[in-house]
This record gives sequence, structure tokens and C-alpha cells, in this order.
Amino acid sequence: MTAEVLPAPVAAPVAAPAIELAGAARWYGNVVAVNDVSFSLGAGVTGLLGPNGAGKTTLLHMLAGFLAPSAGTVRVLGRSPHRDPSVYRQIGLVPERESVYSFLTGFEYVRYNGRLQGLANADSAARVAIARVGLEDAADRPIGTYSKGMRQRAKVAGALVHEPQVLLLDEPFNGMDPRQRLAMMDLLGEMANAGRTILFSSHILEEVERIGTEILVMVAGRLAASGDFRAIRALMTDRPHTVTIHSSDDRKLATTLMADSAVFAVELQPNGLSVRTAHLSAFRRIVATSCQAAQVRLLEVLPADESLESVFDYLVRR
Amino acid sequence: MSTANRVTASSPTGNIYDLGYRHYDGKRRGRWYAAWSLYVDSLRGIWGFGRPMSAKAAPFILAGLYAFPAAIQLAFSSVIAQSVKEGNAANLFEYGNYFTGLGILMILFCVAQAPEVVCRDQRYQVLPLYFTRAMGRSDYALARLASLSTALFLALMVPMFALFVGDVLMGADAFAAIGTELPKSLPSIPANLLVAVSMASISLALSSYSPRRAYSAIGLVAYFLLMEAVPAIIYGVGQHAGWTWADKLVLTTPITSLQAATDWFFGRSLTARGFPDTLGPDAYVLACIASAALFTGILLFRYRRVAA
Amino acid sequence: MPAPVSVLPEIVRITFRQLLGRRRTLLLLLLAALPVLLAVIFRLAGQVDVKEYSTGVFDTVSLTIVLPLTAVLFGTGAFGAENDEGTILYLLAKPIPRWIIVASKALAAVLLAVSLTVASVVLGGLVELFPAGPDGVAATEAQVVAMVVGSICYVALFVPLSLFTRRALVIGIGYMLVWEGALSFMLPGIANLSIRQYAIGASTAIYRLPLEETRLPADTAFVLSAILVVVAMAIATWRLRRFELSGGSD
Repeated sequence: MTAEVLPAPVAAPVAAPAIELAGAARWYGNVVAVNDVSFSLGAGVTGLLGPNGAGKTTLLHMLAGFLAPSAGTVRVLGRSPHRDPSVYRQIGLVPERESVYSFLTGFEYVRYNGRLQGLANADSAARVAIARVGLEDAADRPIGTYSKGMRQRAKVAGALVHEPQVLLLDEPFNGMDPRQRLAMMDLLGEMANAGRTILFSSHILEEVERIGTEILVMVAGRLAASGDFRAIRALMTDRPHTVTIHSSDDRKLATTLMADSAVFAVELQPNGLSVRTAHLSAFRRIVATSCQAAQVRLLEVLPADESLESVFDYLVRR
Repeated sequence: MSTANRVTASSPTGNIYDLGYRHYDGKRRGRWYAAWSLYVDSLRGIWGFGRPMSAKAAPFILAGLYAFPAAIQLAFSSVIAQSVKEGNAANLFEYGNYFTGLGILMILFCVAQAPEVVCRDQRYQVLPLYFTRAMGRSDYALARLASLSTALFLALMVPMFALFVGDVLMGADAFAAIGTELPKSLPSIPANLLVAVSMASISLALSSYSPRRAYSAIGLVAYFLLMEAVPAIIYGVGQHAGWTWADKLVLTTPITSLQAATDWFFGRSLTARGFPDTLGPDAYVLACIASAALFTGILLFRYRRVAA
Repeated sequence: MPAPVSVLPEIVRITFRQLLGRRRTLLLLLLAALPVLLAVIFRLAGQVDVKEYSTGVFDTVSLTIVLPLTAVLFGTGAFGAENDEGTILYLLAKPIPRWIIVASKALAAVLLAVSLTVASVVLGGLVELFPAGPDGVAATEAQVVAMVVGSICYVALFVPLSLFTRRALVIGIGYMLVWEGALSFMLPGIANLSIRQYAIGASTAIYRLPLEETRLPADTAFVLSAILVVVAMAIATWRLRRFELSGGSD
């Protein structure tokens, strides 16, 4: 089922992929959390998608070296992160749990992270990181007084204070308001453009749609799909697509379309024709010929369900 | 696929569907039932039922260790009976001296489990969820207290039962033996009830003052150990200085008093180590009851004030 | 990887702040103040007696209760606080050799335990023992040595314990009551495995306190303490190196 739909995104500057999994699996007793997952990632932002319990966090923890794979290999920057602390020089980690040292101020927390990374200029690095997440105003308040979103940003600042090559974020947008979310997405995009590898997990699809054109979809511990989500969608030919069509005469076009075997259903709606079909590429030709045959002028063709949510929905239900 | 079927845009009116779960027309059982439910749940929690195996380890290991000597005595009852017949009075555990000998394990039981009972509710700030139900603050505190008392009482009575069975088996005629053993064993019920309620009230009252289990546990051990050691030290000093009031300090010791009170129930001579016998045995029983009342009061006071 | 020993004070400082909080500190201050209070009571009773005080207060309270309780709280709390809060990930996701993390945590706990227990015996000694003359001064010094050695050993024991189980504190208290308390009285042979005896033995390097049982000579006590510390730290490092997040699959 884990047909790799597209070749993994190949990034320009790094020769070896920053993240590489080969047949990686992890089980707890007889519960399999991650099952035979293989992929590799270079620079860029990748969204790790899946419903709760799909194994996203387990996967991220394996990448962060906090879990050894039960089978297969996990490599970050060519090294196995488990039991090799030196690799953390190049990894930034934002765990899901909200816990932070509540008695430290935001600035102290980020600086502490910088110092533990061995930065000589932890103070200025901390100030830069705080500014990048837009937390300057609250930097001198104890984290215990922060809102969820602020805490989340402080965690991100702490994770990128040492300018890591690889950034792993577990549900980083939790608790952020839409504006903060946009800012954080822009920040991740910027970092990706600078040649870093960013992998973040999420179960909220609009987040991924906005910044991560590359996605990995996990369902029940397995990698269900990977690649550009629109391409994945197009390749899932066994799934009915819904397309909305505007034309000069919807009713007339509908009768013509119904004659074609590739069309399952046609529904007349106030805002156009809703057509369900199996093959998107075949359907494009059909629409063209049908319009000609019915002598109807085609105004607009919209893929009605081309959102990540529907892709995801479909994968999860399969 | 849901996107295609959304029709909300074209329907300006809203609907709330009655799916049948919005009303509860059943009987409401009120305050006592709520308190009883908390009691049962709490008691199960102390023994780790309905929790992972790791939660069962501490209570069962400690209660098991406490019952262990009695179980050994039961297992070898025939051998012991033989040697008693031959006139070798073995140094055996009896109903009256069991807690005196092994009480330290019950202290550990309290240290391990009392913080589990009350700390988490404060730590995770779920007390409002209780207090907004049919149950009041005092009901909550008393239900918790009752559950720890029951748990301790069960742990205390298991070896009593083992001793009883062992003693009955030692007799030649089991039915006759029951007749003679029963009156001897019955005082263990009120004695251990006093021990259980007293230790539980002290443990919960002290634990409830910290939301962190670690600090509760340390506070508890410190209290039990220091309240044994310090009165004895002051009494020792007082003997030199001629402080005549110092012998009454023994009544403030939590464990020594309970041991002496147990002796009273069994009509044994006092075993309050390190102190003179100037106080009558019933003074210890009264002291233990007073201490249980005091700490229950502290517990209730705490839950009257605690932020919820 | 160069050993970034410079991070050690950073971790120590954070650990201090995790272990000290208003109410918790108050509890421990009360505990440590108790021997001092008893010393005052001794003086009020007009009793200046090195032997009585050593057995009555130092042995039964400072050595048997205050020292192990302080050490078990700090020793298990050093990693316990990070584990409870889930902040341990931030500490471990750093390019720091694991032995430095263990050493920092243990050092922080030792420093706190030593300062509290030493302050307690010094103040008690000033009140009750110094008036007894040179013997009293030497006895106070010996008590300080016992507290330092005892703190180091207990902390060294409890730090790795806290990396193996979440109930380290209760196990530590059980060890203290059962092993150091009941069993070491019943079985004198376990003196070689009793931190209490290490502490008493080490103190004889300065002065032989008039205690009921002193079972180890000073040099043996020092050697055994050193072995305990090295082995315990090695186990803790090994354990931390193999650290795995426990729990759920999500």
C-alpha cells in the first residue's frame, strides 16, 4: 500500500539526504507504532500528517534519537541519532508536550538552550531567535505566565537558537492563533529556503497545505503516501473525484456527460454542475468533447475537493 | 468527500438536531452516592486496580511483606505446633505484637500511597470538577480518608487472619480451636481499626498540604520518624533537668502510642519503649483517638480552604 | 567532540531552581533546623554533654533522619523534576556527553544536600558542643565530615535509581527505613554496604564520635564511598545513554 507516489523531494545543496529512513519500525511490546517506513528528505519543509495515534510522534522521536528503531535504520545527516549526542549539534527539536521550565523567562530559556549547545555568544543568539519568533515583548517574563501560543514560540526559539540543519517539530502550531500561525509558517518557509530540512507533524490540514507542499501521510503506523499532495491526489485513480463545472447551459451538458461511462453522477446545483468521476485526466477530455457535442460553452472547471483534507480523509478511511 | 455535499451556504436557517442524548431524566442519587463512588474509586486506586501493573507494585509488595511473617507462621504451623508440644516456646507473632514488630511497613504503605490519593487532584487542578458535583468539600475529604483507612485496615487484617488460621490448624480439634481462638483474635478488629484510621488521618492531612507527591512523601516520613525520635530525646534531656511534664510527650508519638493502644486492646503490659509506665494504658487509646480527630480536623480544614 | 565542561554550571544552576521552591525549601529548612532546636533544648536543660548529644541528637536525628531524607529528596529530584515535567527532552537533545549531564545533576543535588546538612550540624554544634571544649569542636568537625560523605554517597545512590523508576523516592525511603534502619541493626555484617556506616567511619578520620556502633575504619569508609560513587555514576551514565522515551505510540 505504501506506494511512493513521487520521488522524494531532492534538495539542491546537500549531497546525502538530511533525513533517511529505511524500513524503520518501532513497536512497544506487541503494539506496532511505526511499521516499515522508508523515505528520505532533503532541504525544504515537509509536513508529517496523520490522525492521532498514527505514529507521528514515535517517528519524530526516532529521528530525534529518543527511540531506537526496532527494525530498519534511521539516519539524520548520515548518522544514527540514537546514542550519538553529537548529532544534536545539527538538530533542533520542538516536542509536543507543553512543558517548559516555567520558572525561567523566555530569554533565559532560549539562552540556556544556546549555552547547552555550546554557543560562545548564547546571549546574542538567544536575542536573534526570540526576535525570529516575535517574542521580544514577553522575553523577560517567566514562561509560566505565557499563553499556549507564546510557550509554543518560546519552544521553537529554543530549538533554532543554534541554527540547526534539521528542525523537527511535533504539532508546532498547537495553541497558536491564526496570525501567529501564519508568522510561524513564514518563518519555517524562510528557514527551508536557506537550505534547512524541516519536518513538522500536524493533524490540521490547512497548516500543511500552506507551507508544506511535500507531505508524508501516516496511517496506522505506515507511510500511506509521500510527495506533493496534489500529485498524490491525482494518482489515486480508484477514488471518485468531484468537479464543479460552470457552463452556458448546465442542464444540457449534464445529459451529455451522463452518457459517458467515466462519469458516475451529475448533480445540478445553483452554482454549477457537480460531477463525480473516476479518472481526472480522462474526464478532462470528456468534458471537452461533451461540450463540443452539446454545443455548450464551458465557463469554468473547478476540482471541488482538491483540498488536503479530502486526500487525508480518503487515505485514513481506506 | 464531505466537501461536495455541504449545502449550508444555500440554507440560511439553522437546525439543532435532538439526537436523544441531551437530557437525563433518570434518578439522581445525590450526595451520598457521589461520596460512595469516590470512596470506591479511591480504594481501587490505592490498590492499583484499574491502573497499570506498575501502580499495583508498591501497595501489594508492602502489604505482602507485612503479611509475610504471618504467612510463614501459617505454612509451618504443624512444625511449630510440634515444637510447642515439646515445650519449646517459639518466639511467635501474636495478634497483639504483630503491628509493634512490623509497623514500619505500614508507615511505608502510607508514605507510598497517601500522596497518590490526594496530591494529583491538586497538581492537575481537578478539584473544581469534584466540588461542582453533588459532593461537598468535606464529603470529598472524608471519602478519601475512608478509602485510605479501609485500605490500611485490609492490609493490617490479612496477617491477623493468617495467624488465626494457623492457630486453628495447630489445635488437634479444629472446631474446639475456633472456639478458643475467636475471643483471643477479636480485639484485633478494633485495635487495627484504630491503627488504620489514625495512620490514614495523619497521612492524608499532611499529604494534602502539597500538590507534589515527592514533597508529601518526604513530609510524611519526616513526621512519622521525627515524632518518634524527638519526644524521646526531650524526655531524656528532661530527666536530667527534672522536667516532670516530659513523660507526657510520649502521647504525641504516632507509632509508639498506637503500639501501646494495641496492647490495651489485648490486655497486654505496655511496650512503649523508652518511656516510663507512669501513664495508664487507656491514656494511649485516648491519645490515638484524639490524634485521629485532630488530623481529620486538619484535613477538613485544608479542604475548606484549598483553592479549587 | 570536545568535552563542553562549561555547560556543567549551567545545568547545576537550573537544577537548583528546580529543586528549590518556596514551600519545598521551607519543609527542608524545618527539617534541618530540628537538630539545632534540640541543641537549644539541651542547653536550656543545662546539659552540655558530647556523648548524650552525639547519640541522642546527631545519631538518631541528623544521621538517621535528616541526612537520608534530604539526600533522597534532592538525589531523586535532580532527574525526577525533569522527568515529571517532561523537560528532560530539552536537556538530552543537546550535544553534551551523557556523563557530564549525570555529573551536573549529581553535583547540584550534592551541593544542596551538603549545605543543608552541614549547616544543620554546625549550628547544632555551635550551640551544644562548642561549650564542651576541644572535644566538642572536634566532634562537630567529625559530624561535618559524616554529613559530607553521607550526602555524596546517598545522592550517588539515588540519582541512578531515579533513572530506572518513577517511584524512586518511595523506594529510596524504603531503603532508608528497611536497609539502613532495621536490617543494619539486625545484621552487623552489612556494614560494608551501609552508607550510614561509611559516614560514621569517615568521620573517625577527625574524631571518634561516641556512637553505639562504629564498624568501619576511616580509610575503608573512604575507599568504599569512592567505589560507590564511581559505580553509581557509571550506571547512571550508561542508563542515560540508553535513554528511551517510554509510553504511548502517538
